[in-house]
Amino acid sequence: MSIPNYLFPDILLLIFPFIVIGSRLFCSTQSKVPWRIANVGFIAIFILLNLIPLASGEGRLFISNWKIDDFGVLMREVLIISAILGMWLSKDYFEHSGERQQMHQIAEFIGAIAFATFGGFTVVSACDLLTFFLGLEMATIPMYALTAWNKKDQLGSEAATKYILMGSVATAFELFGFSYLYGFAGSLHFSEIQYAISNGTNPLLWVAVLFLFCGIGFKLTLFPFHTWAPDVYEGAPTPVTAVISVTSKATAIAFLVVLVFGPLAPIQEQIAPLIALLAGTTLFVGNLGALKQSRLRRFMAYSSIAQAGYIMVALLGPATMAKTAIIYYLFVYAVSNYLAFFVFGIIGHYREETFASLRGLSKQDVNLAIALAISMFSLAGIPPLAGFFGKFHLFFSGASTGHYAIVAFAVLNNVIALFYYIQLIKSAWVDEPEGNLSPIRLTKRQRNVVILLSVMVVALGILPFLSNNVFAGFSY
Amino acid sequence: MINDITLSYLIFLLPLLTFVVNGLFLGNRNAKAAAAFAIACNGLAAASAITVAIHYFCSGYAPQKAIMFDYEFLPFAGSLVAKIGMLVDPLSIMMLVVVTFISFMVNIYSVGYMREDRAEGRFFSLLSLFSFSMLGLVAATNLFQMFIFWELVGVSSYLLIGFWYHKPSAVSASKQAFILTRFADSFFLLGIVLVSYVVGSFDFSTINALSLHAFQASTVNLGLCSVSSAEALFIGSVLIFTGGWGKSAMFPMHIWLPNAMEGPTPVSSIIHSATMVVAGVYLVARLFPFFAACGDTLTIVMWVGAFTMVFAAVIACTQKDIKRILAYSTLSQLGYMMFALGACKIHQVYAVTGWTASTFHIFTHAFFKCSLFLIAGSLIHQVHTNDLDAMGGLRKKMPITYICTLISVLAISGIPPFSGFFSKDEIILAAFQGHHYVVFAVALFTSGLTAFYMFRMFFLAFHGEPRHEGVKAGHVHEDFAMTLPIVVLAVPALLSGILGKGLFEKFFVPGQLHVPQLLKLAHAPWIPFAAIGVAAIAIAIAWFFYASPKAKVQRALDSTNRSGIYKVIYHKFYFDEMYYAVVRQFIFGGIARVSRAFNDYIIEGLLAFCVWFIHKLGDLVRTAQAGYLPFYLGTLIVGVLLWRFFGQLPL
Repeated sequence: MSIPNYLFPDILLLIFPFIVIGSRLFCSTQSKVPWRIANVGFIAIFILLNLIPLASGEGRLFISNWKIDDFGVLMREVLIISAILGMWLSKDYFEHSGERQQMHQIAEFIGAIAFATFGGFTVVSACDLLTFFLGLEMATIPMYALTAWNKKDQLGSEAATKYILMGSVATAFELFGFSYLYGFAGSLHFSEIQYAISNGTNPLLWVAVLFLFCGIGFKLTLFPFHTWAPDVYEGAPTPVTAVISVTSKATAIAFLVVLVFGPLAPIQEQIAPLIALLAGTTLFVGNLGALKQSRLRRFMAYSSIAQAGYIMVALLGPATMAKTAIIYYLFVYAVSNYLAFFVFGIIGHYREETFASLRGLSKQDVNLAIALAISMFSLAGIPPLAGFFGKFHLFFSGASTGHYAIVAFAVLNNVIALFYYIQLIKSAWVDEPEGNLSPIRLTKRQRNVVILLSVMVVALGILPFLSNNVFAGFSY
Repeated sequence: MINDITLSYLIFLLPLLTFVVNGLFLGNRNAKAAAAFAIACNGLAAASAITVAIHYFCSGYAPQKAIMFDYEFLPFAGSLVAKIGMLVDPLSIMMLVVVTFISFMVNIYSVGYMREDRAEGRFFSLLSLFSFSMLGLVAATNLFQMFIFWELVGVSSYLLIGFWYHKPSAVSASKQAFILTRFADSFFLLGIVLVSYVVGSFDFSTINALSLHAFQASTVNLGLCSVSSAEALFIGSVLIFTGGWGKSAMFPMHIWLPNAMEGPTPVSSIIHSATMVVAGVYLVARLFPFFAACGDTLTIVMWVGAFTMVFAAVIACTQKDIKRILAYSTLSQLGYMMFALGACKIHQVYAVTGWTASTFHIFTHAFFKCSLFLIAGSLIHQVHTNDLDAMGGLRKKMPITYICTLISVLAISGIPPFSGFFSKDEIILAAFQGHHYVVFAVALFTSGLTAFYMFRMFFLAFHGEPRHEGVKAGHVHEDFAMTLPIVVLAVPALLSGILGKGLFEKFFVPGQLHVPQLLKLAHAPWIPFAAIGVAAIAIAIAWFFYASPKAKVQRALDSTNRSGIYKVIYHKFYFDEMYYAVVRQFIFGGIARVSRAFNDYIIEGLLAFCVWFIHKLGDLVRTAQAGYLPFYLGTLIVGVLLWRFFGQLPL
């Protein structure tokens, strides 16, 4: 049996971690070979993904159980970008660092990221509940390990413990939900579940929906299942925090998109109030939490909780529009978030990762301060940066089905968000430093990545207007 | 290819170009280049305007209207479209020539006057902005365009009055001018809204062709009450006139104009005497058929104008600040123009003499008044004070200026064959023909006052013994860049009356009057003689008091030992003080304090509460994040229950 072209990236990603980890058996600890292989591999996968032509419609099926459609391909690109950036960000922590931050075994680290990424691939390709569940777990379990990667760090171990315990409960919720869904529909396959739902509902289905949303609420950090996020974001090493905040969140939102616009599509109207409530409370609590933080990674945790709320708003819209808005926003979110984490990481090499450490940054390294401002303004949604258009399309999607109340609430909340994002910029630009600042030195890779990401944040805001490829869903 | 259309574009675009280039590039770096560029561009604009005017009047097409270009700017609804265009008829062509020519002269003059100023570049840039705005105003094809440029001239006037922003008096004068004219403009805007709502168009051609009979039947809801459309149009016309009322500084909104003299003198000469302040008169002249159709509006116009005319002339007789004398004189002359327009109404019919006379007076007044202001600036530049106390005896030191001043002063006093005689004579004639005998008498009296205060100023400045140390020591000389425009302007001050009379009588009639016109009214041949006689007596009195060998100049200038009436007049009838009292007590002390309190306590209090509340909630979220795993696991269970009951799932 011949393997179709569009399957190459998936297969490559599946065998890729084994190659990277395996290569370490044959070379010394200091060898750069695994790192190079990892770079080549991820970039090759990204290029291959870009070569798959986007074709609208139902997508292509592989052995009736592995679906590749536009949404899937674009989500794969988001996940791969996240993996590449996470890998680049982590590199410095393996080379030189203080006592607390030093990490080892880069090959396994990259392998874990690759496995999590493949989990995300599985979620967007799944056509039945079993594959779906496997994908989600595969995306989550490496994250537990990554959180505790730094074995000497007690905070990291504590965070991983919390993460894995709460994650288990959430998985239990999900399995419970899946089993009821199976019980309701009598089949694991999405199309048959959808058919069953469109023929009528009963309480069994609603229990399933409730538990599925609560379970995924944990991974997407929806209120009140978000409590792990600040602790884990703070305890985990910075690159891991970045990966969790993007890959894990992207996988979780992909899970919801597949679910809501797949098997649950016939009852989207009925679950809209639940989605709106989840979105509203989450973004409100996230924003409130971020107001009062002084540590950067905790701050980013609440910020990403709020961002999850904003993304949820788009789920209220019609399928094509919601998917387009979410994909675009995830690109923007990934790039902006990684830019912030790169800046925090660079500062974190020399100082504590707190607001106070940012003081005087504009005088010390103005490029870094500009990059930080770009990233924060984009996350806050200030035009003409990408974040503004991303949020605009999310809200547009929500508003197009008439959920004006939640959209208005989200826009109002953006004011609070603007307040704390600008406070961070104020720390970097306005506040005077206390005492002498330790110097900040950027490696060539760090500088290049920061410049690349800054340009991308600006360009992503403008480019969609140049091609209507990404925004086909908005063309009417 | 250069045709009239290209030239008309040039008239607008050259000043705009100067504004942009000087404002952005040249102004701060090279003031000399900025000045040269401004003069070149404004000179070209003036040449273009004069060429277009000659073509227009020689083509045989005059006095019909033409629209040189027209762009849709804002489509509101249906036929209600705001356009930006250029209207050409005798009135607008005349204004185009006056504005560009005076602007050119003032730009040359400013080279000398502003030579030592550090912000010379900014000055030339703003001056061109004003020219551009004023040109847009006079060439407007519709009310909306007129309003846009109306506000733009207001802004440039504000910026130029406050040009020396380090002087507190200049800043407060600029604010006063802006706020007062804006106050009047808000009525103007209301009027535009009302009229365009009833008529359904902004175009002058449509509005001027109205006949009220068509509007008697329908009614308009004004919110508080319903009125018939005809009444609404009357209210609208009064509101629109209010805009001109403020801009032309008619009583009681006149106080900003004398205070605006705080600006540089070239600014006073172009904006506050020759061009911008006649915008109000221009507005009434432009909408004359509409105002005539609206019944009593013209009567209001006439009385407002007549009162301002005599009121300002009385004040001018006592002032000692040379620029303020000219400012009150400007007010008085604007009063002449305004009442001449109003005087066209004779019971229920209309004569056109007043309209012709008024536009004619705009034309002649622009030259001699601009010239007088430039002369005043020239004197101030030499003796470094505005005060007549410190002048005197300048005749020998500044002979060319002296002659030019004499020409202009004779022109404004209405002595033949100088230009002012012809236009003022026609205005007085119009009042007589309209059977407005009270106004006619007031106008004659005012022409005497005019001659008196102008010659008072003339004698005190140029004759007698020098009262200034610098003049006595012989430090006074004539500056070439400043004298040249004065001399050039003396030519039209002398000749524009004789040469313009035929042109104005032939072409300048308000178009589209629907009311039956009177037969040709009899010319009263004795009126010119009466006017000249009054003026001559006034000049003689002025000579007796201020220039005759027996005159006690020191005593004439002493303002301490005076009667009560003199003091009241000298203090401008305490109008400034009344304004300040009203503003301080009523607006600052009353309304402003109440709204401040509302803002401070209610709005800011609400906001502060919101901020406090949000921060408290933030603290709550933070406290909940205690780090206890059992609590976290509990939230999972609570979450499921929470969404079970509040998730609105049909469970």
